Amino acid sequence: MPDTLCESVPAALLHKEITALGLKHVLTVPDTAQKTFMASLRDDPAITTHTFSTEHEVIACNAGMWIGGMDALVLIQNTGFFAGVNALRGIAIDRKIPTFLVIGQFAHDVTVPVEEDPNTAVRLIKPVLEAMEVPYFIVDRPSDVGALPRAYAQSRAERRPVVCLLTAPTA
Amino acid sequence: MKRMEVLKLLLDVKSDGVSIATMQAIPDWYEIGGGPHMHLDNQGCMGGSSATGLGIAIAQPDRRVIIIDGDGSLCMQLGSLVSIASEAPKNFFHFVLVNGIYETSGAQPIPAEDKVDFAALALGAGYPHAFTFDDYGAFARELPAIMAMEGPVLVALKVDQEPADKGVPARPHDWADALRQSLSDVA
Repeated sequence: MPDTLCESVPAALLHKEITALGLKHVLTVPDTAQKTFMASLRDDPAITTHTFSTEHEVIACNAGMWIGGMDALVLIQNTGFFAGVNALRGIAIDRKIPTFLVIGQFAHDVTVPVEEDPNTAVRLIKPVLEAMEVPYFIVDRPSDVGALPRAYAQSRAERRPVVCLLTAPTA
Repeated sequence: MKRMEVLKLLLDVKSDGVSIATMQAIPDWYEIGGGPHMHLDNQGCMGGSSATGLGIAIAQPDRRVIIIDGDGSLCMQLGSLVSIASEAPKNFFHFVLVNGIYETSGAQPIPAEDKVDFAALALGAGYPHAFTFDDYGAFARELPAIMAMEGPVLVALKVDQEPADKGVPARPHDWADALRQSLSDVA
């Protein structure tokens, strides 16, 4: 087995953080890297998963739900992030909508640093987030799950999108 | 049909519902008094109105949400029809102003402007009800019955091409706050 620079985070650990935040709604275009996390959330009768055709819709729907008084988790993968960039800009950023995103680094080669991954979806997401002035937290291992409540709180306090990037597939 | 005329009909049925208007419908909607109370503009991110409205419809299930979409805008996020059908919000009323052009950018034709059938697309996506009107009298006559239906409903309204001479007014960045506050106050 090659050495890895990150560790899978158990779905139960992530799920516990979402429950602790009181979130009842998950808006998603499914993420291959978060299969187990999504399955865990879907099995929870206290949480409703809403599946969309595109990440653009996910970000727009999150805005509408927040306007209507409801909070949600946006769960997508890195490739979908790129598909949703215009909504992230035009809705979440320009209109100051609290948007809490957990994004899986789908197809990341965990034996190389993200910055050296040949897959552009993996390698370019951080520079694009930085260019868009979107704060992000890296979740490399189970001990990093505290980033989720911090990201959620920042998205509400500063009324902007804040991202948690999961470096390895969830366990 | 004239856009302003059909918008007046929609305003008559808005009642205490929420409206979301897109692009060139925005100045006309304001001109007749459709905004800013219980209203949201969708500009700067074409295609976003229906999914934003879906979120409001989910969060506020007892309140009608009226989307005033455009054909060019809807084409940019056509998959939203499927997502809306999947959620099936009963309070969701989706009106699409069909003039066959990207009006703001200079009246270029949308793809397949002489072929696309938005009501058929909505039904195919799973909307339980969808209609097309090109006659003002018929639309005025049927609208009350349409608004009594359980959504989601899509209504394609064939309107005349008009010069985009009013511009889309810039809105402040607290776009969402007034509506969020209004919805909170009446909750």
